[in-house]
Amino acid sequence: MRALDAVRRANRPGPPEHSLRLRAACLGTVLVAVAACASVHEVSPATALAAAALITVGMAFSYVTRTRPPGWVKVLIAVGASAAFVWFFHSVSSPSVDITGVENPLTLLLVSVLVVHSFHVPARRDLLFSLGASAGLMAVGGAQAIDLRFGLFVVAWSCFGLWALTEMWTSASGGGRISAAGLVAALTALTAAAAAVFLVLPAPVVASRVALVSRAGAGGAVGVPGALAGDSGTPAQLSRAGSTSSPSRVGGYLGFAGSLDTALRGTLGNTLVMQVRAQRPSYWVGETFDTWQGQSWTQSRRTTTALRFGSPFVLPVPVGADPVGQADLQTFYIAGATADLVFHAESADELWFPTQTVFAGQDGTVVSPIGLGSGSIYTVESQVNAPTAAELRDDTSGQTLPGTAQAEYGQLPHPYPRVLALARSVTARDTTTYDKVQSLIGWIGSHTRYSLAIPPLPPGADTVTQFLFGDRVGFCEQISTSLAVMLRSLGIPAREAVGYVPGGYNPITDLWQIRADDAHAWVQVWFPGYGWQSFDPTAVVPAANPSPGATALKDVAAALRRVPWVPVVAVLAVAGLVAVLVRRRRSRPPTWAAQVAREAERAGRRAGRPRRPSETFAEYAAGLDALAGNGSTTWERLASSVEASAYGGHEPPPPAQRAMVAEARHTRVHRRAASGVGS
Amino acid sequence: MNLRARPARPVAPIAVAVGVVGLWWLVAHNGGAGWVQLLGDVVFGTLLIGVVGPWAVVARARVTVRSAPADACAGLPVDLQVDASTRLRVRPVEPPGPEVFVGPARRRGPAPDRITVVPSRHGLHGAVTVDIASAAPFALQWWTRRVRLALPSELHVAPRRGRPERPRTEAAEESGEVHERPRMDAGLPRGARPYAPGDNRRLVHWRATAHAGHLMVRELERPSAGPVTLMVDLPADPDEAERVAERALGTVVDLLATGAPVMLGTLERSGRVLAPVADRRGAGRRLARAVPAGGSPDAGGAGGG
Repeated sequence: MRALDAVRRANRPGPPEHSLRLRAACLGTVLVAVAACASVHEVSPATALAAAALITVGMAFSYVTRTRPPGWVKVLIAVGASAAFVWFFHSVSSPSVDITGVENPLTLLLVSVLVVHSFHVPARRDLLFSLGASAGLMAVGGAQAIDLRFGLFVVAWSCFGLWALTEMWTSASGGGRISAAGLVAALTALTAAAAAVFLVLPAPVVASRVALVSRAGAGGAVGVPGALAGDSGTPAQLSRAGSTSSPSRVGGYLGFAGSLDTALRGTLGNTLVMQVRAQRPSYWVGETFDTWQGQSWTQSRRTTTALRFGSPFVLPVPVGADPVGQADLQTFYIAGATADLVFHAESADELWFPTQTVFAGQDGTVVSPIGLGSGSIYTVESQVNAPTAAELRDDTSGQTLPGTAQAEYGQLPHPYPRVLALARSVTARDTTTYDKVQSLIGWIGSHTRYSLAIPPLPPGADTVTQFLFGDRVGFCEQISTSLAVMLRSLGIPAREAVGYVPGGYNPITDLWQIRADDAHAWVQVWFPGYGWQSFDPTAVVPAANPSPGATALKDVAAALRRVPWVPVVAVLAVAGLVAVLVRRRRSRPPTWAAQVAREAERAGRRAGRPRRPSETFAEYAAGLDALAGNGSTTWERLASSVEASAYGGHEPPPPAQRAMVAEARHTRVHRRAASGVGS
Repeated sequence: MNLRARPARPVAPIAVAVGVVGLWWLVAHNGGAGWVQLLGDVVFGTLLIGVVGPWAVVARARVTVRSAPADACAGLPVDLQVDASTRLRVRPVEPPGPEVFVGPARRRGPAPDRITVVPSRHGLHGAVTVDIASAAPFALQWWTRRVRLALPSELHVAPRRGRPERPRTEAAEESGEVHERPRMDAGLPRGARPYAPGDNRRLVHWRATAHAGHLMVRELERPSAGPVTLMVDLPADPDEAERVAERALGTVVDLLATGAPVMLGTLERSGRVLAPVADRRGAGRRLARAVPAGGSPDAGGAGGG
């Protein structure tokens, strides 16, 4: 019975809410939440518009009937909500629907509930429910948002929500208001609390098997399925080897093609290429190269296997890879036209892709059959094997790569006696592969410099020889190639990998943002017990001739580019508007008489006739009328009313007060226009 | 008396807030969506300020009594003008009273910043005890604090006027030496004065009326009567003491109406007091100060006195 009583108490209708402001604020939160869901395609624009219209009508109906809500409305709400729930459970109960398929029905369910609920919102408690439901709707939209534009909706929703909550206090306290200082203190505390939690909480993680999203975006057909294409933004155009005359590749990068020319490097730019939601940062591999030709890398294993089973694609184990590791889910959100390579963390083993076919190479390269343009989404699960340094040192099993792979990944176009001598001298004291790699990386870091501003190598020049024994200045492809060649000269299998560095982490969206200039090349070294392990020698190479001023300017420019200007400007604009309104409100005279007096004094000042300290207002007004010289006694008449109010207690009715203020303003403006005297 | 602020019942919003935030973070953290987690942070901040913020408001709130009457009667409402630093819900506890909102309001115009107390018993109050509460700024959870508001002057709560009793006579009177009280209209004429409402029509002095042109009445000089001494001993039981005080007040008022001087003897905190009372207000004040013989009365306990 106690539970029954509690239910009855909970369902007891509250007192009707008469505050129109509170209803408007709650309506604002709900409409913003619906718009936010529409912006991330959780609901269609037509559905969003219909829902917004119905909710507005429902809120108006609730306000009109707040004192005596019709009984049939409750029946309608019960039927509508039940129908929405039945439809929702029917939609998600299909065996083919995974967890990601619940999002759209859940959004529609929430919108439907908000629509039917809006017709019965008589009390404050019901409005609070609308507020909470709008928060849920915002969360559903936020789950799909991958850029900072969603921040506009968050800011708008927060403003409406705060307005609603402060109006709720006004209503609950019988007209209480929060002072400006109190509101600022509350907002400051709220922001501090939210920021503290934001700073303390760990980053969200992708729960296993939850976010397996894939969607085709703007792309187009690839001219030759399975071939590398799209490097110039056109999927139909096949990738070409880089050349000094045509550096038009993905973001200017020459690597995402059948070969990698290390003699030159194009201008990469800073455009956003993709965003990645991942459990951990990784080097996102696009493809690898095994054959070194002195100035460029090529692939000897160019054949790919077509996988035609649809998602999830089970990818074959690449040659030399260790198939056992820690599962690592990554979802890639493509932001701009890119190559048709499926980027992934090392050793991808499963892929959710919006096509029925993908092409897998023996080295782990995965090629898309469609162009990957803006809006494309795919998810990869990789097996990440990250042994410790000690484990790699102990990996001395002596095994070799299977078949011809050992020779392929140790291939050199010609003997490099100087390179071999250098590598031996650097690694003379090292006994393990790992120590040798680290010694070589250390030597490169202490003897070479990084620079993008170097001229293309002349045709026929050997990149490694030029880099190691020439000016020792180069970029990532040259640095990593030099390491790979030194390792190969020592008999250690190594290959060149190209892709992207993890990029910048956006703490708001929890996404790694990869820009064109994040394109990178590094070295993968094979360890018998752990497969291919990545090493990035470029990371330890200092920049050549660093210019503090140029570096600082570049950092500042980069920081400014990453500022979310739209939300920042919006917040500043709103804050400025509020400040102006508050200032105007504070500077407004408190009474009508003071307003009239102020108008008269302004008119006098502009006419060069400021009020003297010893002058009464009536005297001053008479002086102003005399100054006008047209026989008008407007100021005198107004002054008479003001003094009668101030000293005689004859307070005119409010309409007359407003009329006198308006007349004073009118007189000030029009006399000035007519005669130049406030006049 | 200024106790710490505490959450007002029901405290369900706090539990709901903790549950909502916990569930939100659980979903957000495992969903991998940064925006959801950020929204959760905003919701957390809002709930935190909405639930805990009123504590700061209530703890810092200042309420003072600007003006209060000096006299009141048990069972009748007494308005106290108060000043509040912020909007507060005030519920008088001792003396009790209805719940009201005081403090700055959004609506322009004079705010009726007054609280009403309805003392149930006679007594002397130097302060009133109230529960102040606030849910600012978001009306999500009320917090309350019990405070004691000092009154600008002591509030004398007189007992209700009870049924009068014929005063017991002294032993000498019981033995036959009872003095008859003179009639109101008896005595020697001293002069004439204009008629005032309530004057006995038998006292109209027709000659003087004819001379003056309006009604004149005789003023009589009455023989002085011996004062009636009323000794009031309040019992320890508060209800019984209240009834005794009510009867005493009724008796005093009746005696004063007959024109007899009344000496009222009561026990106050300072000791026994025997002094004349001239009118009902004076009698009420004396009885408000009265305490039981064996201890302090329940009503006067709050006010000291």
